Amino acid sequence: MSVVVIIVVIVVVAVVLGLGLRSRTANDGVDSFRRQIDALSPEARKPTIDQVKSAERLDDDDRADGDDSAP
Amino acid sequence: MARDLAIDLGTANTLVYMKGRGIVLNEPSVIALNRQTGEVLATGREAWQMIGRTPGYIVAVRPLRGGAITDFEITERMIRLLLQRVGVSRFTRPKVVICVPSAITEVERRAVTDAARRAGAADANLIEQPMAAAIGADLPIDEPVGNMVIDIGGGTSETAVISLGGIVALEAVRVGSFDIDAAIQNYVRREHGIAIGERTAEEIKVAIGSADPTHDENQAEVRGRDLMTGLPKTVLLTPEEVRFAIEDVISSIVSSVIRCLSKAPPELSQDFLVRGMYLVGGGGLLRGLAERIERETEVPVKMSNVPLEAVVLGAGHVIEHYEALKGMFMGARR
Ligand SMILES: Nc1ncnc2c1ncn2[C@@H]1O[C@H](COP(=O)(O)OP(=O)(O)O)[C@@H](O)[C@H]1O
Ligand SMILES: [Mg+2]
Repeated sequence: MSVVVIIVVIVVVAVVLGLGLRSRTANDGVDSFRRQIDALSPEARKPTIDQVKSAERLDDDDRADGDDSAP
Repeated sequence: MARDLAIDLGTANTLVYMKGRGIVLNEPSVIALNRQTGEVLATGREAWQMIGRTPGYIVAVRPLRGGAITDFEITERMIRLLLQRVGVSRFTRPKVVICVPSAITEVERRAVTDAARRAGAADANLIEQPMAAAIGADLPIDEPVGNMVIDIGGGTSETAVISLGGIVALEAVRVGSFDIDAAIQNYVRREHGIAIGERTAEEIKVAIGSADPTHDENQAEVRGRDLMTGLPKTVLLTPEEVRFAIEDVISSIVSSVIRCLSKAPPELSQDFLVRGMYLVGGGGLLRGLAERIERETEVPVKMSNVPLEAVVLGAGHVIEHYEALKGMFMGARR
């Protein structure tokens, strides 16, 4: 009798845990995808891409001496 | 404190982006070695200046030349020297993101990440070059629209269609701007009987090379060694001759772009007609190339305004947003 109750309890707990885990991983997917897409937005990228302007000034002088990649 | 790094390990040029600082290094991917002892004598611009001008015991090589790693040991030493030069040591352990040609094999990938770890990186991950190029060229890849980027480097040409932060179609060939240099070298040897070095061929390409007729066309004086007499000699080369010499290379680059277009799902391919394709990489700067691709594909081609830096800026952006973007590493996606 008590053995049956224990088994039932274990099964219920396992099912609840399983569902909880599954929904958590599902949400994780949504969250991390959202984070990735947000980090790729033009607003997020602006500071990085703007850095090239300061870098361009830096290597202007060493490009003059015959860099193979200078236009 | 360790500053995380992004590296564009190009076949022709290597660029390094430091988190919070921007681009801190930009130089040719060349290493000069003592042939007998194997010692490294120079790297970067200094080694580049030695190409074709070394005495017998020195050899100046581009380890990634063909978009593949031909010599693992030399590549590893190049990566280690590179990281040392930007201040990486066993005490500073930064995270490193490296862009490699998409066509490299699993074994080559491991070699690159292992080399970075051995040089002191706490963690080393790779991302595909065209993906980084699209991020750096400021394409709206966060939207569900078709973004197409064509990256023409020294040894490789890679075209990719990107939507919602992922690669939808990719076409990578081991043909690039170095092959144009080689075609010019062969033509001048065959038709004018003079031998020229690879750097001279590159200068001719940049000065008068074109993929389609352009408005201002000039001839160029070419100096080399006469194959018959062995003496220095000058000849005149016309832009038509150069176009003829490089035609095979240009048409294989254009065909690879067309193959990529044909791999794209129809919903995305209609986007290209409106949005165009973006050209990046030093090879994309060849006169008339954008026009030529546009003429053959009937899709507008736009030049990125950071053609040489787009890849390292894209990788740099991933380093700036490491946690959010780590799902973009090669091997992270299923
Ligand atoms: N103005 C130009 N016209 C034609 N080719 C160019 C020009 N500028 C650079 N290149 C070529 O671009 C190549 C380097 O491009 P890059 O994007 O740095 O290559 P990689 O990414 O493979 O290192 C070299 O072969 C160089 O000769
Ligand atoms: Mg490149």
